Amino acid sequence: MLCDICGKREAKIYYTEIVNGKKKEQHLCEECAAEHTSFRLKDPFSSREFSLGGLLSGILDSYGPAATKEEEKEKEKIVCKNCGTTYEEFLEKGQFGCAGCYQAFGRLLGKTFKNLHGGDSHTGKKPVGYVSETNRIVNELSKIDKLSIQLQQAIEQEEFEEAAKLRDQIRELRKNEEHRVTSGEEA
Amino acid sequence: MPKWYEETNNDLDVVLSSRIRLARNLKNYNFSVCLDDEHAKELVGTISGCAKTLGEKSSQPFELCQVNRLTEVEKASLVEWHTISPLLAEKKQETALLYSHDESINIMVNEEDHIRIQVFHAGMDMYAALEKADKIDDILSEELPYAFDDKFGYLTTSPGNVGTGLKASYMVFLPALTMAGKIQRLADEVGKYGIEIRGIYGEGTKSLGYIYQISNQKTLGCSEPEIIDNLNQIVKQTIIQERKRREYLISMNGDEIEDKVYRSYGVLKYAKRLNTVDAMMLLAQLKLGMDAGLIKLKEEFDVHTLMMEIQPANLQRMLGKNITGTERDRYRAEFLNQKMVDIIP
Ligand SMILES: [Zn+2]
Ligand SMILES: [Zn+2]
Repeated sequence: MLCDICGKREAKIYYTEIVNGKKKEQHLCEECAAEHTSFRLKDPFSSREFSLGGLLSGILDSYGPAATKEEEKEKEKIVCKNCGTTYEEFLEKGQFGCAGCYQAFGRLLGKTFKNLHGGDSHTGKKPVGYVSETNRIVNELSKIDKLSIQLQQAIEQEEFEEAAKLRDQIRELRKNEEHRVTSGEEA
Repeated sequence: MPKWYEETNNDLDVVLSSRIRLARNLKNYNFSVCLDDEHAKELVGTISGCAKTLGEKSSQPFELCQVNRLTEVEKASLVEWHTISPLLAEKKQETALLYSHDESINIMVNEEDHIRIQVFHAGMDMYAALEKADKIDDILSEELPYAFDDKFGYLTTSPGNVGTGLKASYMVFLPALTMAGKIQRLADEVGKYGIEIRGIYGEGTKSLGYIYQISNQKTLGCSEPEIIDNLNQIVKQTIIQERKRREYLISMNGDEIEDKVYRSYGVLKYAKRLNTVDAMMLLAQLKLGMDAGLIKLKEEFDVHTLMMEIQPANLQRMLGKNITGTERDRYRAEFLNQKMVDIIP
């Protein structure tokens, strides 16, 4: 099916909007959809009653060979374990129930956010003293784990001299550890 | 101590005030849509408990007000001052407002998000407002566990606020652009840059008193300074356009405008009854005249403050009793009569 607006590109987005109390369905290509929806969003005067929730389901209710009906149904059933909000409810209301929802629906949100904001990753301020999840995990790794990751990277980048050094360091650490364990058992 | 809206600043002919709003949530409570009454109470208690620390660390005392326990008139009055949102006023659950003495900083608790930090600044100075808001935000983030994510930033109830949680808005006075019928076009134009313009009073394009709010819509993918710089660009352009239009208006219809301005002054000074809509329009005309130097009063006053003061609930609160619409119109006229100091001939 071709896009209702440009009539040139393949329609990939199924977009519903309420115009003067009547439901209007449109089949749009991604480009036209982006333009159309951003226009609706930004036009404060003609879209007084417009709801973000409706828009979200409009944007996300895409179809095509990639997603079958069953897959769509499955998506809607994704539920946040913490607050019980389902993905379907989120689309309807346009509101998250808790911080956990962001994790539960995480994979599905990138496109929504791109459509709304033009970007999907935060680049601004962070809370004072905030340690990112990745950094926290890295901080909790043992020295051997850290060296193993570096070794992995060195091998991938074909820095074999560096890799050999790292391998030796790891061996040394392992030997010491085994020694500690065995001497500990004897004591 | 002068209130924030009493401070003076350039650009006041167009930009009335700057406002920063930061949306924040705590990770250990459900967001407002899923928050039950009991937890709401606990949440409000926890956040209100930061009042003392806020006062100490920002070296200005913070007052606490339990919004849900105020009378309807008191709540309506706070909404008219743009201190709280209609949503907070309508909420039946436990809600609170923390505010600094000069009223330039306030924190709505248990609104759409757990925390809404708001900072107001007279005229055009968004960075000054951001700096203050940042400081409050830092203090709170050290006391409370924020819901923050590496990828998505500050997590908010609405996907429209996620990321920075920042909404920067300018309150602007655009009489000439409005009279020329240019607002819709301006709205379409700035929309391309992720900026929204909407009327403050009344519905849609018919903004009472020619007052509009210009704010960013995008919150994710750009930093706070990027958001403000982008908004400032648009507002500077708007100021230029509005001033050009005013010049044109006065060069073409100077006599007519001058007549209107003096008529407005006359009615404001001598009328015995004034309803809100008429009073707002008259004040807007008078401001236009004062900005253009067509009329000079012995004492300068801020027209926008007057506009907020003459809203129904505010008048009622000033009087301290319930009054009917007609009585209110009489009192509004009396109030404005007194404010109209003599003209410098
Ligand atoms: Zn198309
Ligand atoms: Zn949830």
